[in-house]
Amino acid sequence: MIRRLLTCLIVSLTLSLPSQAVETLRVLTWPGYADSDLVKAFEKKFDVRVEVSYISSDEVLRQKISANHGDDFDVFAANTAELQHYLDEKLIVPLRLANIPNTANQLPRFRNAKNIPGITQLGEVYAVPYTYSEMGLIFDRKQFKEAPTSIAVMWDPKYQGRVLAFNDSSHNFSIASLALGGKPFRIEDKNVKSVVDHLIALRRNVLTFYTLPEESVELFRTQTAALLFANYGRQQLKLLQDAGADVGYVIPQEGALAWLDCWAITRGVKNKNLAERWINYMLDITVSRELTRRQGLSNTIEADTATRETDKIIWLEPVEDDKRRAALWARIISGDLPGRF
Amino acid sequence: MRYGIGFKLGLLLATFGIVAMSIVGYYSYASSRAMLLSAAQRDLLTATQVLGRNFQSSIDEISGDTLLLAKLSTTSAAASFPMGVTADRDKELLADTFAAMLAVNPQYFQIRLIGAGAHGLELVRVDRAGDQLVRVQVADLQEKAHYPYVFSTLQLGRGQVYLSDITINHEEGAHSGLHKPTVRVATPVMAQDGKVLGLIVINLDLNGLFDRLKSDLPNAYQLYLSNHWGDYLIHPNPAQAFGFEQGRRVFIQEFFEPVTALISGKSGSVVTNVEVEQQANHGLVAAFVRLPFAGSIDQRFVILGLSQPLENVVREAKKLGWTTIQMIVVLGVLAVLLAALVSRVVTGSLRSMVHAVGLFSKEQVVSELSSARKDEIGLLARSLNDMQVTIVANLRELNESRQALKHLAQHDSLTGLPNRALFDDRLQQAVSQARRDQTRMALLFVDLDEFKAINDTYGHHVGDLLLMAAAQRMEDCVRNVDTVGRLGGDEFVVLLTHVEEEQDALVVAEKICKTLNQPFELDGRHIHISASIGAAIYPEHGSDELTLARSADAAMYLSKEEGGNRVRLFEGKK
Repeated sequence: MIRRLLTCLIVSLTLSLPSQAVETLRVLTWPGYADSDLVKAFEKKFDVRVEVSYISSDEVLRQKISANHGDDFDVFAANTAELQHYLDEKLIVPLRLANIPNTANQLPRFRNAKNIPGITQLGEVYAVPYTYSEMGLIFDRKQFKEAPTSIAVMWDPKYQGRVLAFNDSSHNFSIASLALGGKPFRIEDKNVKSVVDHLIALRRNVLTFYTLPEESVELFRTQTAALLFANYGRQQLKLLQDAGADVGYVIPQEGALAWLDCWAITRGVKNKNLAERWINYMLDITVSRELTRRQGLSNTIEADTATRETDKIIWLEPVEDDKRRAALWARIISGDLPGRF
Repeated sequence: MRYGIGFKLGLLLATFGIVAMSIVGYYSYASSRAMLLSAAQRDLLTATQVLGRNFQSSIDEISGDTLLLAKLSTTSAAASFPMGVTADRDKELLADTFAAMLAVNPQYFQIRLIGAGAHGLELVRVDRAGDQLVRVQVADLQEKAHYPYVFSTLQLGRGQVYLSDITINHEEGAHSGLHKPTVRVATPVMAQDGKVLGLIVINLDLNGLFDRLKSDLPNAYQLYLSNHWGDYLIHPNPAQAFGFEQGRRVFIQEFFEPVTALISGKSGSVVTNVEVEQQANHGLVAAFVRLPFAGSIDQRFVILGLSQPLENVVREAKKLGWTTIQMIVVLGVLAVLLAALVSRVVTGSLRSMVHAVGLFSKEQVVSELSSARKDEIGLLARSLNDMQVTIVANLRELNESRQALKHLAQHDSLTGLPNRALFDDRLQQAVSQARRDQTRMALLFVDLDEFKAINDTYGHHVGDLLLMAAAQRMEDCVRNVDTVGRLGGDEFVVLLTHVEEEQDALVVAEKICKTLNQPFELDGRHIHISASIGAAIYPEHGSDELTLARSADAAMYLSKEEGGNRVRLFEGKK
């Protein structure tokens, strides 16, 4: 009996040797960011194994990384508004950009990490931008002789009942504050009232607030809307164009809110060199181009033809008080009169 | 013998029986399962269609209610001059009407009159708040122009009805419908001149409505509802419904693939079953219909479905399966018993035959086999019986002829006396016996005198008769234990065992001599002969048969030399 056990033990040890010898990288990411063919190419190039796990929401991402203090994964992708949380919780570690040479090929707006909120701390870089989507304005070319330039167009009585805004408390407060010339993510208490009033004015000017991209397409078609706040960015533009709408896309001069997903390395990383190699590989021109081709998302290496270098992009940041924004927004969209705030 | 023919035969029979029953059982199980499944799908589809019709007629009733309210003169009056003094009375009246309608329709959350102007400000609103019906105060009324149910309804004509998409109602206010799935049914309120004054909206409690509609259905039935994109609106697991509210889409066609045909409009109803892999009978049977769900102008639809656990459906088949398995086990045992019995009947006879053959070959005992059976086994038994009898008869014949041959080999054919071979054997035995017992024995050589002359005179026939008669006389002279033999021609020998004295032997010899000297009546003639007899005694005249024979022979020649018809005892060695 003991001999048999020993044999089993030896056999299993022998069998497990090769798999132990191969380094494994544990990647946690969004669907579409690490397609299996690209992962296989990386595995082959560096003779390693890559385990990819997927998340579908920011909440799930927080849960997975926080569990075991980041020991379960080596590298993951999160947006700038979320990264602050991982910095605060000390779940991510500084990167050595020298090990990620492809960062040098990134577009200028991504090369200076200090310009991007939430990815640096005390002079150290904690994350590298990978892909982004900005929330510009989609307009009907038939109803606009010239492309709108300012976000204020959403409040323009000329287009009353033909504006489609998005049903989201955080973004709407941000753009209302921007339209009033304030900071998008840091609304001071004294300015809250005026932002709320401005949002009520928006409510009175829009046709409606949409939720799903398909919904926006339907409304644009059936209700002859003129202007649309593109929460889903260029993907939404494509959806409308595919539906036959003659539409244009513009980044307003006040700037467009944009989420920016960045790669970061957990404090529990097993092989930091390998994790950095992964990030470098993701910034490879061919890999980044594939992301754009397959997902319709912008990459950080090649500029979109429609985006100009001068376009102002405002990377999402944590807002001053998202609960307060949500509570106020629920009342605004419900139709509460201005006097009740 | 461990795996004898009986065992193999039994195994074969039992295996055949069990396999046959298993196949029949399996096929009846599979076909009854398929039958139950399609019956369940049919039932589910019918139930879904009925449910759909009931849902649509409920929606029609609600539409009727909105149209009724929109036609009331107080409604148009309240909407015409919302700020007028008389309007307050109209609004009051309308609020009472709304409350009355809410009271009799528990699935209504809210009834409102919304004005066309002032950004869709509500004019009259009665909410259900738990058990209460609350008329919302003027200061708490809200602007609703940015909601599709407002701007879409305002575009409708008289008597047309708008049905909203099914959404979660996040409109703040004191009502039970907050954060609940809601359908808004609305119709425009028009002035006499066709000017749109506002709209009547009834908020419907979707879950309440379906709970009521579903109450007639079996408990095991589970309800699904999706919008025209496939997003779940009702799902047995509430977390799956309204996924888009949490920023994630959960599509009905991802789990129930055939529903794609409904969404694309290729078909009006589908049935399907979703079986969980590797877990037989854990899954769902489901039926879906595409229900037109739209107001007067557009073409939207919803997907309504009912499912039932596969386990419930195939429970009967499972029961049948179990019964079949039990039957197979019982019949299997019976088959084994039957097989054992059959093999016993067959091999029992065979065994008794084997026993009989063994006994026969060992001891030549004929055992009568039961041959009453009419089959091959009976035939075999009968053949075996016949064979035994034949063999025994043949053996007996063989034995007899062997005995005859042996006799022939050891006896003189003429006189029937032991011949030289047998006599030598007897002499040897007698000498050995005498040596062992340390007794005496005697050997007499008897030679008929002038026998040749008799042969020549009377012929061989008479000579032969004489020899036979002489032999008979000599035999009469000796004891049973003694032996008279013929060595050939006219030479005879006599062996006398257990002789006490020489004299005893000589007495016998004299007796023989005398009796042979008596005339013979042969073939009507008187024939007279004599004999010369030589006697030798063991151990005095020879300690072995050869010497003894020589001594007797020598004594006989002496007797012949002396003229015959006398007895001479060997004298050479004394």
